[in-house]
Amino acid sequence: MSGAAGPGRAPLPCAARAAAALQLPGGAEAARPGVAVIDLRFPRGGAADVHEIVFKNFYTAFLSVRVQRAGPPGPRRWVTCLRDHRLMPSPHTEEGSQDYFSLRHHQMLCDMEQVTALRFILRQPSPAWLHFSIEELQSPQKDFPSWLSQLTPPEQPASPHGELPDPEKVSTEVQQMWVLTEVIRARQAAARIGRFDVDGCYDVNLLSYT
Amino acid sequence: MAAYEKRRAAAAPAPAAGSGPAEPLGAAAGGEPGGEAEFLLRSGVTAMVREALLKVLEARPEEPVSFLADYFERLVLGGPGAAEAAAELPAPPQRLARALWYVRLAHHSHRTAFNNNISTAYEVLGASGRRRRPGVDGRLYSELLRRICQLGAAPQEVAAALLRRVQCRDHEAVPFDVFRYGVLTCFVLLEFVAKAHTLYDVLDGGTGAADKRVCQAVLHTLEEALGGSDFSVPVRYLEAGSKLGPDCLALAMDRALQERKLSASMSRDEFLKKATALFVAKVKPVD
Repeated sequence: MSGAAGPGRAPLPCAARAAAALQLPGGAEAARPGVAVIDLRFPRGGAADVHEIVFKNFYTAFLSVRVQRAGPPGPRRWVTCLRDHRLMPSPHTEEGSQDYFSLRHHQMLCDMEQVTALRFILRQPSPAWLHFSIEELQSPQKDFPSWLSQLTPPEQPASPHGELPDPEKVSTEVQQMWVLTEVIRARQAAARIGRFDVDGCYDVNLLSYT
Repeated sequence: MAAYEKRRAAAAPAPAAGSGPAEPLGAAAGGEPGGEAEFLLRSGVTAMVREALLKVLEARPEEPVSFLADYFERLVLGGPGAAEAAAELPAPPQRLARALWYVRLAHHSHRTAFNNNISTAYEVLGASGRRRRPGVDGRLYSELLRRICQLGAAPQEVAAALLRRVQCRDHEAVPFDVFRYGVLTCFVLLEFVAKAHTLYDVLDGGTGAADKRVCQAVLHTLEEALGGSDFSVPVRYLEAGSKLGPDCLALAMDRALQERKLSASMSRDEFLKKATALFVAKVKPVD
């Protein structure tokens, strides 16, 4: 029931601790307070942008999320980015109890950039469910090719350096050469001649029995 | 063979029907327009002229008159001659020349016309004779490819490098697909060489010697764009377009020129060799 990365998605590279239930200090018996906390912290103090949080619910009714950001040095504050987000329409019933949820950054109250730690506060007020948690906690990272994100060139050549050939003409020719190579690369002779020789030689001793 | 039969059928009624209408035509010297049009149709002249015009439109030669003269000469040679004397097939050099002529008619980008011409050339080359079996063997195929590369003025080593990938051994029977693939590759290589020449002209800026750093920067960018990812086709085009745009190329060239190396110059041959090496590396060998 701890936050673990599922297969097939880039997981948050972090160390998760198991859901810890809130305890009243001095309580002898293990009470069932209906509030649990999951902490996620990046290893070695690293920070990352969190675009999206994906998880599978397990009978949690309300979720709050707080983040700790890599900010100015000193005691770091926890900022609430999601307050009492309702996961189950009715805490006593089954609806939404095992659904998959996805939280985007535009649903959050604050910026999710350079996050060092995440705290998930789970609440389940109903006495019907003894154990509750969230599972398969992941944060898929966006995989953007660098050339696509640079739609405008970062810098222009400062001075034409004198003898620089005309880039437009060069570009035209090079692009045409690229197209010609692509034409050939995409094609292949459909029929095969079916050569069985080993390095140009049909010596009987080199042929295999299979 | 269908093309030959068409021409044979067109040519055969011509001598037969020619003598027939000659008298009535001579008699009706005043000329009814119906009689003349009918004569043309019956003798097959309409079909022949229409085919000739279609061929001219496909090939768009620079000298249409000599092209037409060539065309009609081959028509005469290939018409009644082939029907009568199957034993007197032209020797391999003549068949090669004819196949070469067919293959050069259309540009490789006009895909349908080019494919039609290649099929005709394949038939010509593979026609059976008294002493040989039908089909194109590796020797004829390799010889044809060599001649194609020669007439495009591709440098010797470049052509050799490509042929090594696409060639067939002398004794092997060449299927049509492999034939088409080989011929197409040769023509695309010729166009690639022409473009590389133009590129070198741009890079040297009329001085005749291009800066080595600039050439290497441009070739390196091209290699990167080619090498790239295994994404689907639209993404590859987008990626290549962004990498080979004027801005990125200007940046690459500028960065190259700022390097503190001795500015040597790269000769045209060396540039061609490096550029075509990129091309030949992408050609899938025949196996």
